[in-house]
Amino acid sequence: MSIFEYNGSALVAMVGKNCFAIASDRRLGVQLQTIATDFQRISKIHDKLFIGLSGLATDSQTLYQRLVFRHKLYQLREECDMKPETFASLVSSMQYEKRFGPYFCQPVIAGLGDDDKPFICTMDAIGAKELAKDFVVAGTASESLYGACESMFKPDMEAEELFETISQALLSSVDRDCLSGWGGHVYVVTPTEVKERILKGRMD
Amino acid sequence: MLDTTALESFPSLISHGINVAGEISAPPSFQLPNSNDFDGFVKETIQMVKPAKGTTTLAFIFKEGVMVAADSRASMGGYISSQSVKKIIEINPYMLGTMAGGAADCQFWHRNLGIKCRLHELANKRRISVTGASKLLANILYSYRGMGSSVGTMIAGWDETGPGLYYVDSEGGRLKGNRFSVGSGSPYAYGVLDSGYKYDMSVEEASELARRAIYHATFRDGASGGVASVYYVGPTGRKKLSGDDVGELHYHYNPVTPSTVEQEMVEAAGP
Repeated sequence: MSIFEYNGSALVAMVGKNCFAIASDRRLGVQLQTIATDFQRISKIHDKLFIGLSGLATDSQTLYQRLVFRHKLYQLREECDMKPETFASLVSSMQYEKRFGPYFCQPVIAGLGDDDKPFICTMDAIGAKELAKDFVVAGTASESLYGACESMFKPDMEAEELFETISQALLSSVDRDCLSGWGGHVYVVTPTEVKERILKGRMD
Repeated sequence: MLDTTALESFPSLISHGINVAGEISAPPSFQLPNSNDFDGFVKETIQMVKPAKGTTTLAFIFKEGVMVAADSRASMGGYISSQSVKKIIEINPYMLGTMAGGAADCQFWHRNLGIKCRLHELANKRRISVTGASKLLANILYSYRGMGSSVGTMIAGWDETGPGLYYVDSEGGRLKGNRFSVGSGSPYAYGVLDSGYKYDMSVEEASELARRAIYHATFRDGASGGVASVYYVGPTGRKKLSGDDVGELHYHYNPVTPSTVEQEMVEAAGP
């Protein structure tokens, strides 16, 4: 098993009508052994920007802490929050700095940009950005997630329907992966509120 | 020397078994692959099959008989290829075998063992003992030792001497014992099994212990999951006691109570 599969992870983000949803699994494992079932993989940068980091857990924690540091400096200098597009470029360049000794992480970034237009993107471990208009996936269950999202996704879904869709896509995909699952964590973000929900999933 | 007694009952499709003089010549045997580096080839096959011991199976003897339990997941590296594999194989009405390792290896050799046990019954007018059956299997597996088959099985049954349980593997090992667990989830199963085991359990208590042990293994081990099947072998034969989906078992053991979550109302950043 490769280094990206050491801890196991599943991440997905989807775009809806003036909203987005980002979801992750909750397992932290050491190869096949499950260590924790409440691991936080998605973190808030500011009210309208979330980042989920899949891959090696230690690198995702470190990368997240460095990103928070850079964003706080940005907030002090610019006196406003970073736009999602700008943040994505920041993550991409930070990863490419480590081109020959990378962070073993694949980030999924989701946010509301100007005029509350939803923005999602993902990157590989050395910062190649992939912008998408519908959904992005990352983690050990990514292949299953691609299939599930492709069949379940519809454009312009409202927040509640988007939540249902992303939850079903996540749970059905992690049920085909030994290394991710053990519950789900979903954030649905609209211009006025953030709804955080824990999913009841198969714990095997 | 390969033990080809396993293959005598198989007539070959091409009847080169009977030569011109009408006599039956040497029985057919497995063909060995033609390769320059046979040892390297065998090593590679062993590595290919190795991750397949992702499973949890267990068996134990108690006052009323033998309890056998297993999960039902088949995994290929990280991918779950099936959640509904039958890992408890019915060799004959009073003997069970468990499957861990290569599915094809286990299925084939267990069926073969069933054939040999039946032949023994017909030849000797009495059932074969668990000791005898496990010895037959162990000897065959020993002769194929090092050839890359992967079998980690337990033979559990009831014979004239009472309950019997043997662990047999493809390295040629054969162990008699009271409690065994085999597979990647076995350490977790042992933890629950060893702490809850008492010889004087009833059938209900023993089946609940077996089910719990498999459930705990599926929770912690990524390569185990699906359905926890529990079988019982007693004086009247084998019986399947339960087959519970492990996803539902979790919430049966840990019911979810709705709790009041502190809702944080934060002003969204205005324009």
